[in-house]
Amino acid sequence: MTRFLNKKEALILAAVSFLILVVLPCLNAFLPKESFFHISDFTITVYGKYLCYAVLALGVNLLWGYTGLLSLGQCLFFALGGYALGMHLMLMIGKLGQYQKDIPDFMVFLEFETKYPETGGLPRHWIPFRSPWFALLMVVVVPALVAYIFGFLAFRSRIKGVYFSILSQALTYAACLMFFRNDFTFGGNNGLTDFKFIFGHEINTAGTKRWLYIASGILLLSVYLLCRWLTSTKFGLIQRAIRDSENRVLFSGYATAHFKLFVFVLSAVICAVGGALYVPQVGIINPSEMGTEKSLEAVVWCAVGGRGTLIGPIIGAISVNAMKSWATRAFAEQWLFMLGGMFILAVLFMPNGIVGLPAQLKALKERFSKRKNGEETPPATPLETPGVKTAE
Amino acid sequence: MIRFFRSFLAGFLLLAAISQASAASNARNDLVAAILSEDVAQQTEMIKKLAETNEPIVVQVLSAWRLSGVYIHEADDKKIPFLLDAQLNSDGAAKGARIADGEFLKDADGKPIWFSQSDLTAADTNSKLRKTIKTTLDFFSLADPNLKVRRDATIKLGQEQNLDYIPNFEAKLAKETDKETIRALKEAISLTQLTDEKKETRIAALKQLGDSKSINSMNFLQDFLKKAKADTKTYSAEEIRQTEATIDTIEKYMAVGNFVGTSFRGLSTAAVLLIAALGLAITFGLMGVINMAHGEIMAVGAYTAYVTQNLFKEWFGATGGKFDMYFIVALVMSFLTAAAAGLILERGIIRFLYKRPLESLLATWGVSLVLQQIFRSTFGAANVQVGSPSWLSGSYVIQDVLFAYNRIFVIVFAVLIVYGTYLLLTKTSLGLQIRAVMQNRNMAACMGVRTDRVNMMTFAFGSGLAGMAGACMSQLANVGPSLGQNYIVDCFMIVVLGGVGSLGGTVSASLGVGVTNQVLEPWLGAVLGKIIVLGGIILFLQWRPAGLFATKSRSLDG
Amino acid sequence: MTQKKEFILTLEGVNKTFDGFKAINDLNLYMDEGELRVIIGPNGAGKSTMLDIITGRTQPDTGKVEFGLKTDLTELNEYQINRLGIGRKFQTPSVYVDHTVLENIWLSLEGTRSVWSTLFAKIGSTQRDRIQEVLKTIGLTERANVKAGTLSHGQKQWLEIGMLLAQNPKLLLVDEPAAGMTDEETAKTGELLMSLAGKHSIVVIEHDMVFVRQIARKVTVLHQGHVLCEGSVDEVQNDERVIEVYLGRKKKH
Repeated sequence: MTRFLNKKEALILAAVSFLILVVLPCLNAFLPKESFFHISDFTITVYGKYLCYAVLALGVNLLWGYTGLLSLGQCLFFALGGYALGMHLMLMIGKLGQYQKDIPDFMVFLEFETKYPETGGLPRHWIPFRSPWFALLMVVVVPALVAYIFGFLAFRSRIKGVYFSILSQALTYAACLMFFRNDFTFGGNNGLTDFKFIFGHEINTAGTKRWLYIASGILLLSVYLLCRWLTSTKFGLIQRAIRDSENRVLFSGYATAHFKLFVFVLSAVICAVGGALYVPQVGIINPSEMGTEKSLEAVVWCAVGGRGTLIGPIIGAISVNAMKSWATRAFAEQWLFMLGGMFILAVLFMPNGIVGLPAQLKALKERFSKRKNGEETPPATPLETPGVKTAE
Repeated sequence: MIRFFRSFLAGFLLLAAISQASAASNARNDLVAAILSEDVAQQTEMIKKLAETNEPIVVQVLSAWRLSGVYIHEADDKKIPFLLDAQLNSDGAAKGARIADGEFLKDADGKPIWFSQSDLTAADTNSKLRKTIKTTLDFFSLADPNLKVRRDATIKLGQEQNLDYIPNFEAKLAKETDKETIRALKEAISLTQLTDEKKETRIAALKQLGDSKSINSMNFLQDFLKKAKADTKTYSAEEIRQTEATIDTIEKYMAVGNFVGTSFRGLSTAAVLLIAALGLAITFGLMGVINMAHGEIMAVGAYTAYVTQNLFKEWFGATGGKFDMYFIVALVMSFLTAAAAGLILERGIIRFLYKRPLESLLATWGVSLVLQQIFRSTFGAANVQVGSPSWLSGSYVIQDVLFAYNRIFVIVFAVLIVYGTYLLLTKTSLGLQIRAVMQNRNMAACMGVRTDRVNMMTFAFGSGLAGMAGACMSQLANVGPSLGQNYIVDCFMIVVLGGVGSLGGTVSASLGVGVTNQVLEPWLGAVLGKIIVLGGIILFLQWRPAGLFATKSRSLDG
Repeated sequence: MTQKKEFILTLEGVNKTFDGFKAINDLNLYMDEGELRVIIGPNGAGKSTMLDIITGRTQPDTGKVEFGLKTDLTELNEYQINRLGIGRKFQTPSVYVDHTVLENIWLSLEGTRSVWSTLFAKIGSTQRDRIQEVLKTIGLTERANVKAGTLSHGQKQWLEIGMLLAQNPKLLLVDEPAAGMTDEETAKTGELLMSLAGKHSIVVIEHDMVFVRQIARKVTVLHQGHVLCEGSVDEVQNDERVIEVYLGRKKKH
């Protein structure tokens, strides 16, 4: 059993947190624009976005890396969290929209006033979202509920492995189709956008952006610590035991379905909170955020960074997205080639991702030197690395 | 005797020719008279009469007149109506052809006069006249050699419910030979008779409409019923009853038609899904490999069809029998290219991941991204046009239900490839080896089956099927870089629903999903219908987690 | 064998069919408390299916499966049956390869199994003693802190037996424990199982007749999902029907 945070780890963590939570915002706030070290408002928002993606990656990883459940639907929860907060932000626009009415623009445009005359055009389930507290509660409750119902059904009937992946993909696909519909009352195709205020502050000022960034940093740190703690408990051991040999766990008297359900709901909540912070920073949430390819992209981050570790997904999320930002500007055409290629290479040659690369190189070097010395070596099997369980 | 007969015959023919020529010249004279007449009522009468002649010149002149293309040339105080010749000279002027005899107008020197359009005044028309001309032209369409034009004109004229047309309809009915047109004419007569003053005629018409199950007249019948109910003085109770009975008959007929139509569309949707999912059923079901690039392999097939089509266009021109053959060649080519693509995929990536299905899912997703980008770079981001060969466009109409050829083709094709796959799996040695490897890879390897080669062949075969599916899709849906993405979720659901490793399960699941989709669509719309099907599948798996046709097996360890 | 006596395990008239194949056919089996029973039979005799039925992995079509006097096992699922005190070892060793040997045992120790309890669980001193005891029994004390994935095949088998012992089960179901072991390891495994008998009731499924002879007091021969005969090793080996089944003298299996 691993201890929760040793001294060295805590020191590194504190240093990185200081850099992300204090140094970077200060560089943004207090340095003059001309300075080489100045970080622009735009950049700080981009960084905030990366941090939210890292939270999403940790959610995916908790399921896939630690429990062996590859969900292709985590972006659904990310988007649901985003929608829940987005609804509140929509209602905070007030009369500042293009139509200058009390209800959000898209509702005017879709003639909700005639559809829901008794509430002045606002569908009933939107009304409580005027309260920020209710919205924040829903950020957690709705995804948790969806995850609970789906997880309950899936784990009860012992759907696992690729079947779980396919079904979670189908769930996401269905939800995506649903949100595309105008009469689903969430803005259809265009989603929710044009936010003006968040919790009483103007959303587009440098100050708000900085605080949203800092909030994302704090969230990432908290989620990291939560995952770090969880995986160091007996629960964490059982998680990985389920990943490696579910039958043994089941025949040892553990109700594996309950454990999986717990992780699934927890992961959904983590993703959802990340999504809720993501939306005010990018300023829009629409159904394309819950497309299956988005979920798969989040899986790529984990794979590239190194799943089954906690730092890997964070590194993966940030580096892949930084690369994406750069590549879509530099060679827009080739980005899909790069993403696809990266994925294939990561799966084939880097089963432990960036984090596992040093160990992998070391092993390679050892084998090389052994061969040089003329010792007999077993045939090269670069694809099987301990710790990566081959699914049964 | 013979001589006499011969001269008789010659005389007869001559007579016929003269009478024909004189009919034409009569028509021309009547046209001139009509154009020159000053009295609109008289003009109307004359135009209507012209409808009874069968001369092409009448159509030509009337059409031109309606569009202000008939001009008057004034010479020696005589007004001469004429049409402009189609051929223009370098000044943009044209010769004028007299309507009276079709000769060109000539000046005093006997040289043709050149008119430029801007200098001319058109013969007068007004809206009433134009309408009359239009109707007259429609009557001409009733005699058009093209069946479809004839039918459409009949239906249109019938819906005008103008009692004056009835003699015209009846005259046409006597001559008409095409069954459908006869039906349309009868329908037009009955529909028109609904406005007749005599009650008996109306009731007979109602009966007739019911007997001929005229779907087109539904709206008119409902209007008629409303009118009759509101005005019980003019319309008797018997009439109302008869109307209701007729509406009922037609509605029942439509319901049957709807049912057949929906079943047919459901069947063809199922066939499309089946063709798309069959390749996946083999690679996923039999081999246990999750190929997320399956959709893109389909797109490879679709683009192959596109390329084949373009090559044929270049070699044989864009139409004709040789071009029509392109699709057959395209089917074969798409199988081969997709199989080749599958082979490369298997050798390059998948063979390293047989024991790691989740990883193969991720790697093949990477492949699908790369392929999509290749399509985009090669063929552009927009959809490409893949034309249907003439033998796949159009449809059978049986009892007002459309059976589109391309859909029939897809159904037949689906049956053929399922049967072919079944034969391959059960009757060939490759099939035997595939099944052996599928059941127990290690044991098969020990028994001397070259599992590596079997994997390769199976994967290539599954991919080839996907390619053919893509070629089929090109006839029904848009071909673009994201073609594959639109089908992949459906395909996976079908394979999971059917039960992995079961061909029969895949067939039944496709049928179930396809038909349910089509049944739900009219009520709920395509999107909601699809969502419900997806939800239904998830719930269904609660009841039978292993799918419809799960191979029940004894427990396996681990 | 009277019905009145309390058996730890009772199977009566059990039937199970897979796609028309009768895997278990009117099976009757009674186990005494503390007994070590060896079950042999040719491939496809229904040995593993029988274990599946006892442990709740497979539902029998008909028949009675009881633990002790009252508990109907057909109503329960795998983890509920395990919690009653029935442990099962699989044919291929299944241990948690990414955990240390000690962690493997710790996860298997008897105690509450709920999600919440595992979040805050710590290894107490009594638990630590118990783990050491189990490690000593299976001879892996020295390897307590290595990852289970690095153990040899035989050691993994022992670890899995140790994991069963940690649960302190009343009934141990052991599926081919000696498969893939060296002679020396096999002998050691035999000793281990014999030392456990008495404290626990044990069902061992085995093919290796040398091993069977080493440990068996009472042997049950299964054939085509039915009990062919029961008795000591010698009795069974000289039984006409058993010879027929194994050597196929009259009709082929």
